Order: sequence, then C-alpha cells, then structure tokens
Amino acid sequence: MGNPYLLVYNAALTAGWGYVLFLTYKTVLQEGGWTQEVFEAVDIPLKISQSAALLEVVHSAIGLVKSPVAITAMQVASRIWCLWGIVVPCAATVIPQGLLTAGQQAALGLPGWANINFITLMTAWACSEVIRYGFFALKEAFGTPPYFATWLRYTAFMVLYPLGVSSELTMAWRALPDIKARGLFSSTLPNSWNWGFDYHLVCVLVMATYIPGLPQLYGYMLTQRKKVLGGGAAKPKAKAA
Amino acid sequence: MTLISLDLQSRSGKTLAKLDVDSEDTVGQLKKKFHAVNKKYYPARQRMTLPAKEGQKSGEVLKDSAKLSEYGLSSGSVVLFKDLGTQIDYSTVFFFEYFGPLVIYPLFFFLPQIFYPGQKALPLDQRPLVQKIAVAYWMFHYAKRIFETYFVHTFGHATMPIKNLFKNCSYYYGFAAFVAYFVNHPAYTAPDETLSLVCFALAMVCQFSNFRCHTILSNLRAPGETAYKIPSGFLFNYITCANYTAEIWGWILFTIGTHTIAAGLFTAAGAFQMAEWARGKHKRLQKLFDGKDGRQKYPKRWVMFPPLL
Repeated sequence: MGNPYLLVYNAALTAGWGYVLFLTYKTVLQEGGWTQEVFEAVDIPLKISQSAALLEVVHSAIGLVKSPVAITAMQVASRIWCLWGIVVPCAATVIPQGLLTAGQQAALGLPGWANINFITLMTAWACSEVIRYGFFALKEAFGTPPYFATWLRYTAFMVLYPLGVSSELTMAWRALPDIKARGLFSSTLPNSWNWGFDYHLVCVLVMATYIPGLPQLYGYMLTQRKKVLGGGAAKPKAKAA
Repeated sequence: MTLISLDLQSRSGKTLAKLDVDSEDTVGQLKKKFHAVNKKYYPARQRMTLPAKEGQKSGEVLKDSAKLSEYGLSSGSVVLFKDLGTQIDYSTVFFFEYFGPLVIYPLFFFLPQIFYPGQKALPLDQRPLVQKIAVAYWMFHYAKRIFETYFVHTFGHATMPIKNLFKNCSYYYGFAAFVAYFVNHPAYTAPDETLSLVCFALAMVCQFSNFRCHTILSNLRAPGETAYKIPSGFLFNYITCANYTAEIWGWILFTIGTHTIAAGLFTAAGAFQMAEWARGKHKRLQKLFDGKDGRQKYPKRWVMFPPLL
C-alpha cells in the first residue's frame, strides 16, 4: 500500500464526485427535475469536491505527488474559475441557458429541457473525477490498479474532455453579458491604490486560452494512452488504411 | 600523448561519430572536433556525458575545461551526446529582456493618446511629480541593468536555450506594460508627495547597493578561476543573495512610492522567482563549504530577505 493520506484523499474525492453524479441523475430520472433542480441538489457536494482539488496543488508543490506544479495549478485554476467565477455568481443567468439563450429557445419553440448544458457539465466533471480519483485511490491501495481502472482513465477522456470543455465554455459565454452588466469582481479607476480590474476581459482571455489548451492536453493524454495501454486502438485503423 | 579513438553515441546507442583525439585534450577540444564533423552542432549546443553507471540515472557531465584523461577515457570509450537545442548568449538574452521595459514603460508616459484612447490626459508639465519620478527611476533601473550586463556581470554559463529568450521577454515586457499602464493612467491618484520622495530616495539607495553587490560578485573570481567562492563584504556578510535583497526592496519602495497594486504584483512575482534561485544558491554553497577536509564552513547567513528568508 502507498501513502495512507493520499489513499484517504483520493477515496474521499471519488465518493464526493460519485455523490454529485448520483444526485444529478437521481434528480433528473427519479424526481423529474432539470438543470435548476440539479443545481440545487448538487450544491454542497459539488462545491466541496471541486474546492478540495486545491489540495492537489499543495501535494504537487511539496513533492508528495509527482505531477508538475504548473500543470496541476492550471487545471485546478480553470475548474475553480468555472465553478466559483462563473457558475455560482451567475447561476441565475447560466443555469437556465445553454447553447441557446432562453429567448432563442422560445423563438425556436424548443421545450425547456432543450438546454442540457449544466447536466452535461456535471456529467463530464463527475465522471472524469470519479475515474481519475478512483484510479489514484486504487493505485494507493494496491500498488497497481486493476486494468479496467487504467483503461477507463486513459480512454474516457476522449469523450469527457470535449464534453466538459464545451460545457464550461458555454457557461462562460452565457455569463459574459451578465458579468459586464454587473461589473462583477471588477474595480475601476480612480482609487487610492490605482488598481483597475476588468473581470469581463479576464474571462474572455481565459476562454481564449482554452483554444491552444485543449489540443495540448488532449494530445498529451493520447500519448500517455499509447504508452500505458500500448496503442491497441490505433492498430485496426492502420490495417484499414 | 596518447592518441585515443572515442565512440560518440546518441542516448539511444547509435554511433554518431568516431573521434580521434589526444588523451590530454580538453572536452572543449573534443566538442570542436565533433562540430567539424557535424556543422549543425556548434560546441555550445553539445552536452557530453559518460554512460550511466550502476544505480545512476544518467552519467557524469563532461566539463569543457577538463582533460579527457581525467574521466578515464581511452580508445573505444563511449561518450554520450545530447543536443541542447539552439543556444543564445546570456548577454544577448539580458540585453533584449531589459531593452523592452526600457522602451515600453515610457511609451505609456509619453503617448497616452495611444494607450488610453478617449481619455483626457494631462499635458506633461502638469503630470503628478511621482509619475515623472517613476518613469525616470524605471528607465534608470533598466539602463543600469544593460550596463551591468556588458561591464559588470561575469557569467557562469555562456549560453542558454533560445526558448528562454521568448519566455523571459514575455515576463519582462508583459509586466512593464502592466505596471506602466496603471502608473501613467490619466485617472492615476498620486499618494502624498513627501511619501513618494522619501520612497524613491531610499529606492535609489537600493539601486546603488544592488550595483555594489554586483561588483563584489563579479570580483569574486579572477579571470580563469572556476571554483566557487564564499561572497563577503558589505551586505554579503549577513545575506547570501544580498543583491536580491536590494532589488526587492527597490521594488517595494517603488510600489509604496507610486501606490500602485500592479507594481506590488510585479514585485511579488520577481521576489518569488528570486527566492527559488536564492534557495538553490544558498544550499549549493552550504553543501560545498561543509567545513570538512580543510574546507571553509559556510557561515550562518540569511538566504535572501531577512527576517522572512
């Protein structure tokens, strides 16, 4: 067995995100709720589980875990920004709206459930975190995780990354007008310490970084997949060509 | 005078060249020989190592100044080659790093119509005194750095990989624009003038202290000496990286003198990086000067910033 603290940390987060996933689908399937009801149901477990990811930056910085601090910090920062910087402060605007605004949905005669964005966001986040933390928990517990856990970790991302990223960007896109109108988290000159901060601009810049960011991360995971799983999926394609 | 034939291999084991050299030749001369064989790999780009021994992750790096015989190399010995990528002179990087801020900051001061479009800026003679002092101080600071690059600093390594040039310039140019934007803004609020004057006067003291520290460091080694020495004199008697102490205090005083948070963020970023470098240097000197076998013992000193580090 590896580090007991890491085992507890990863197991707790697997459970936390598993609970978020459970609550999401319980609300939708059992209670007939949709994005608003899911948001209210996952509230605390989501906030705790996502915020706990900040510890990963500490783990990396003190050398407890081998991942590079900069990459870990960037990944955690983007999640924290999306949750605490977009979804929570602008919930009234972003939860009911998805790729289409409420007005556009109504104009097209679409039913309310046509907006699936918060549900895809929760699905993408919770699934990828259960798989990731679960993989690490099993690794700490048994040294080598069972093959299915490794397979999931290096395969599920192929769908979950694009799903998660598109959901995050949609949330941010929908929040922008609201952020601008409210001057959210922004300060203007003049003030005695000469500090101006345009949060709207910062959000736009962060969204822009997703453009080079996703291909890089995706490509990195694909290379890792080939290394760890041996590139079995690539072979049939080569034969067909 | 023993002629030996060395097998230069890539790290995957492929032989790149068989080089005939004298065992009394230096590693530097070996690199020149390889450069003659392969024009792409000028000596500064070559890293040569011995193959890794039992339990080692990688083999010993061969120093340019050392003789081949010092590494026990004989005919048929394998030397491993690594390409360090396109290299650029330290002094060239420093020049571009510092020239950017020297030019960028005053642009914001002199051309508000470009950088603050649509906002009414005061004519130059009516600007707050602190804005004028700040631009003069900033330009002096970076002109001093360029001067030191060519006339004071002696560099431990001659070159660095070229991607560092882009990384470093982004940092310096980015922060120059960031700080300049806020200090020279038409809606800038100046702090009490006396406070500013005192801060900038003390900041100039820091500039001169930092310069003195740099001259002490450059005089530590006589030309040709490669051994590490314990720095001493002036603030070095108490602090390993006293030059960083003066630098950080200079920027703290700039921040307080201009009452600008952006300058504070710039100070923090620089201090964070300097702390990393200072810790490395302090540890290295403590390890080298351990007081054993007739070596000096490195005295008890602050690393970079009493009383915090």
